[in-house]
Amino acid sequence: MAQSTAHRRLLQEYKMLTNNPPDGITAGPVSEDDMLHWEALIQGPEGTPFEGGVFAAELKFPKDYPLAPPKMTFLGEVFHPNVYQSGLVCISILHPPGDDPNHYEHASERWSPIQSVEKILISVMSMLAEPNDESPANVEAAKMWRENRPEYERKVRESVRHMLGL
Amino acid sequence: MADEQVSLTSLILIIILGGLIIRYLFFSSPAQTPRPRDAQAISRAREAAVERIQQIFGPDRVDRRTILWDLHRNGGNIAATTERILAGRIETPPITFQPPPPPTSPSPSATQTQPFKAPPKPAEPDLITRYKLQDKIRADSEAESSAKSKAWSSNRNERQASLQRRRDEMILAARRKMEAKIAAEKAAGNAPQ
Repeated sequence: MAQSTAHRRLLQEYKMLTNNPPDGITAGPVSEDDMLHWEALIQGPEGTPFEGGVFAAELKFPKDYPLAPPKMTFLGEVFHPNVYQSGLVCISILHPPGDDPNHYEHASERWSPIQSVEKILISVMSMLAEPNDESPANVEAAKMWRENRPEYERKVRESVRHMLGL
Repeated sequence: MADEQVSLTSLILIIILGGLIIRYLFFSSPAQTPRPRDAQAISRAREAAVERIQQIFGPDRVDRRTILWDLHRNGGNIAATTERILAGRIETPPITFQPPPPPTSPSPSATQTQPFKAPPKPAEPDLITRYKLQDKIRADSEAESSAKSKAWSSNRNERQASLQRRRDEMILAARRKMEAKIAAEKAAGNAPQ
């Protein structure tokens, strides 16, 4: 099984992301020896406190990709209602269908093989701009985002600079 | 009349039997943890049981070793242990009883979001440190050859190099912009952050 379905599909996605990268996104395998382990860079969306920042994240694909979604984890602190303190991203597109105990996500929003790495990264970008506080992964961030927006934005800006080594 | 009575008795019998079967199938399991076959599974089940019990009473009131001792003696029956703690009949384990240390990652909690939970990790270095870009920061002004070979190469080493270059450029460009922004803010006399 040198060329599994997951491997072939990921190579194809890698090729598309290389030839036609979406704005503010760079992504690919850490090493082509292991196509199931990627790293991605996402630019902070403009007009948000994340603006000007670059965020690195790790993508771990399951062996049965694209049937099951990858797990995405930010490397370094991202203070955001939908990102666990461990960096793990919690958004609907990363949830397998039928895995929504709270019934607030539409099946179409969740993972299916017609989604892609590109769509995940674009969704994460818009998640940075618009947190979903229905299902906070980081309760502290969600609370601050709701109740003390200036402080939340200040904290995010600070982490953006820290991330760039400034 | 006799016929009717027989069917009535058997009806009652069936209802009782049915009730017992349903009770056995559906209501017996939560009270008693399943008996896993291998030792690892048992210890995992025990850890989960300890966590559940500590959630009920608070970790300060009963320590892990005491709970494990009681579970050990009653075959992992959470309900029985809970009752004994409530009744104040829980016993101090003998010194010879030394349970294995708790697993490093907390045993899964009962929440639905459990698969998305991961233990917190130590602070990550910034991106400059992570991708070893310290040297390139200094040499950045010469605007990194803009010959961006975006196209897909058939050589995997070239692909790897190209990806790395794009990644470094993205970080360095963002850093340059941010530096300029900070400088501008300073010049403007500490404008609002």
